[in-house]
Amino acid sequence: MIHVREHKIHNEGFYETRYLPRRVVLPLGQHIGARPEPLVAKGDTVTIGQCIARSAAKVSAALHASVSGTVTDIKKYNHPTLGQDMSICIDSQGDEEFPRKERNVQAMTRDELLAAIRDAGIVGMGGAGFPTHVKLDSPKPIDTLIVNGCECEPYLSCDNRLMVEHTECILKGIEVTCRILDVERVIIAIEGNKPEAIKRFNSKLHTRSSSTCNISIQTMPSAYPQGAEKQLIFNTTGRVVPAGGLPLEVGCVVQNVATLFAICEAAYYGKPLIERMVTFAGSALAEPKNVTLRLGTLVSELFEKEVLKLKTDPRKIIFGGPMMGTLVSSFDYPILKGTSGVLFLTEQDCDLRSESNCIRCGRCIDVCPMRLMPQEFVRMFKKGRHEEMEAHYLMDCMECGACTFTCPAKIPIVSYVKTAKAAIRAKKK
Amino acid sequence: MDTKSLPIREIGPHQKAYHDTPYIMRQVVIALIPALIASVIFFRQRAVIVILAALAGAFAGEIMAAKMRKRPVPLNDWSAAVTGILLALILPPATPFWAAFLGSFFGIVVAKHVFGGLGQNIFNPALAGRAFMMAAFPVMMTTWSQPFTLDAVTGATPLAAWKFGGELPSMYALFMGSIPGCLGETSALALILGGAYLFLKKVADWRAPAGMLIGTVILAGIFQIVDPANGSVMFHLLAGGFMLGMFFMVTDPVTTPMPKKGRFIFGLMVGILLMVIRKWAGLPEGVMYSILFMNAFVPIIDRLTRPKAFGRV
Repeated sequence: MIHVREHKIHNEGFYETRYLPRRVVLPLGQHIGARPEPLVAKGDTVTIGQCIARSAAKVSAALHASVSGTVTDIKKYNHPTLGQDMSICIDSQGDEEFPRKERNVQAMTRDELLAAIRDAGIVGMGGAGFPTHVKLDSPKPIDTLIVNGCECEPYLSCDNRLMVEHTECILKGIEVTCRILDVERVIIAIEGNKPEAIKRFNSKLHTRSSSTCNISIQTMPSAYPQGAEKQLIFNTTGRVVPAGGLPLEVGCVVQNVATLFAICEAAYYGKPLIERMVTFAGSALAEPKNVTLRLGTLVSELFEKEVLKLKTDPRKIIFGGPMMGTLVSSFDYPILKGTSGVLFLTEQDCDLRSESNCIRCGRCIDVCPMRLMPQEFVRMFKKGRHEEMEAHYLMDCMECGACTFTCPAKIPIVSYVKTAKAAIRAKKK
Repeated sequence: MDTKSLPIREIGPHQKAYHDTPYIMRQVVIALIPALIASVIFFRQRAVIVILAALAGAFAGEIMAAKMRKRPVPLNDWSAAVTGILLALILPPATPFWAAFLGSFFGIVVAKHVFGGLGQNIFNPALAGRAFMMAAFPVMMTTWSQPFTLDAVTGATPLAAWKFGGELPSMYALFMGSIPGCLGETSALALILGGAYLFLKKVADWRAPAGMLIGTVILAGIFQIVDPANGSVMFHLLAGGFMLGMFFMVTDPVTTPMPKKGRFIFGLMVGILLMVIRKWAGLPEGVMYSILFMNAFVPIIDRLTRPKAFGRV
C-alpha cells in the first residue's frame, strides 16, 4: 500500500453537471464476457433505453441506446482499452430523458430482481466491467456484501459525488442486492478522505429502519490500492481470497457504489444502464469537474460544446486513473460503462524520468499488495526467464502499479509484468 | 492540438513518487555532513586532505570504469560521492593523499564496477576499499592521531586501548568525539544526527540498524556481565565504527537484503559478529569485517525471508 498525491476536487459545495450529447458511439466491448450481437442495423430508429445488442451467452451483458435517434452506422471506432472496436453510432434526435416507471420492488422475487439487473445491462462500474447479474447469482452462499466507496485512484471523485448526492439511491441499491444475495451484513467501505460521504451515509442509516440487512460503515485509511477487491476484503473482514480465486470463495461480494446506484435505477424505475458520472481532471483542464454523461458521448464533443475547456495542451490523455488508466491519443473516444474518469495531464503532472539501475532498495517488495517480489520479476524478465516468473506467482500480480510508483530507479515494472504475462499466455495457447 | 505527438505506448502508472536514486544518495550525503564537519574540527587539514582524496579517487574510478565499459559516466547519481565520503570517514587522519585516492579507486572499480555497476555489487565498496588498504598498508591503517593536533602524535584508539591495554576512556569523550580514531568514527553525536535525518526522510529503513543494535547489545551485555573488563555495552556502542556502520553501512540498499525480515536478520548477525571479532579475533575493531562477511550472505537471506504471497499457502 502506498500513499499517492490525491489531487481530488475538495469542494463539497460543488455539484455535478449533466450534458446531453448530439451523437453517441457505443462499442460492443464494454464488459468482461461474450460480445453481444447487434439487434439493430444502419438506418434504424431507436428509442432511449432500447436494447440494441444482446448475447445468448451466460456471462455477457446487454447494450442499450443511451439516446433516442437514428443508427447512422455500425463500424469500428476508437476504443479506450481495445484500440478499436465495432461500435453502434447513433445520432440523437433531442434532449430526451428516460421515462422512469416506478415498480413495486418489495413485491419482486429474487429472480425478478436479477432479471431486472440483467435486462438493464449492468456491469461492474468500478472499471472491471464484470456482468453484475452473473456476479450476484453466486453458486456459493454469501454472507457479506462490501460496498466499495474507496475510489483510491488520484483525481477521480465521481464515486464521491455519487455517495454525497445520491446516498438514498445507493442504499436502495444495497437493499436490492442484499435481497438477491441474502447476506447477513453489509460493510460500506469509504476512505477517510471523503468525510462528507461518510457523514451522509451515517445520517441516512440512522433515520431509516434497518430493514433487511445489518449495514455498517467502515472508514478506511486513504491508501492505494485500498479499493482493490482482495485487499478490501482483507482489510474489512480479515478474510484472504485464495490466489487465483474469487471473493465468493470466502463468502463475500464487492460492489462499486456506481454499480449499486445503477441497480437501484434498474430495479425501482426500470432504467437500463445508459449514463454514468465521469470525472474530468488534470492540470491541462481549465476546471476539473464531474459530469453525468450518456454512455457513448465522445470526449471531442465535450470540448466542441465547451463543457470542458483546456488551459494548455495535455501531454497525456488517460481514460481511468493515473495509476492503472490507459493512454489514448486524441479526444475522439467514447465514454464507456466502466469509464470513471478522463484525465488531461501536463508534462509537469507526469513522471517521465527514464529507467536506471535497480539499487535493490526493496521498496517495491514493501508496497506490493499481493506480497510478491517485483524486483525479482524485473531481474528475471531481463534474462528472459519467463517460466521462472510464473513459478514466483507472476500471474497473481494485479498490475496496480504500486511498485512502479515507488521505485526510485523509475523502472517500468508493470510494463515488464504485462509483457511477460502476455508471452506466457501466448505460449500456453 | 497536435495529437501526433501524444505517446500511445507508455504504460502507467503515469505519476510516480518524487524520490529517485540521485535524491536518495543526496540525502545520505546531507546526513553525513555533521560527521564531515566533526572530522574537520578534530583533525583539521588532515581530514580535508583525506576527504578530498577519497572523493577524487571515487570520481576517477567512475570515469575510468565508464570509459572502459564504453558507457556514459554516471556521476550524477551521487553514488560515487557517497562511497568517497564513507571511505574517508573510515580512514585514519594520517592517511596520505595517494593512499586514500587508491583505496577509493579500488572500491569503486573493483568492488562496484567489476561486479556490474550500481546495484550489482555484493560488497560495500567503501568497506571493500578499506579492507584492501588494510591488507596493502597495515601499519598506515593502524596509526592513529590525537585529535586537535597537527603532528602525527600517535595514540591508540579507544578500542585498541581497551583490547591491548585494558583502558577505558570517558563516555563523554567517546560521545562528543575527542578521541583518536578514524575521521568519522569519533563523534557519535554527529553520526546520530545524521542517522536521525535519514530515518526522518524515510531514506533508510530502521530494521537493519535495529537488528545491529540488538545483536551488539545482547552480546556485549553478556560479555559485560561475565567480566566487566570486557567493556560496558555503552562503550561498545560508542567506540569504533559501530555508529557509522549502523547508520550508513547496514542501510546501504544495494548490499543488504530486500525483504523486511531479511534486513533485520542481517543487522542482527552483523551486531553479533562484530562483538565476536572484538572479543576474540586479533583485531580490536569488528564492524568492517562483520558487515563484509554478512554482505556475502545477502542472496541467501533474500531467498529465505521472501514474503508469503497473498492468498497462497
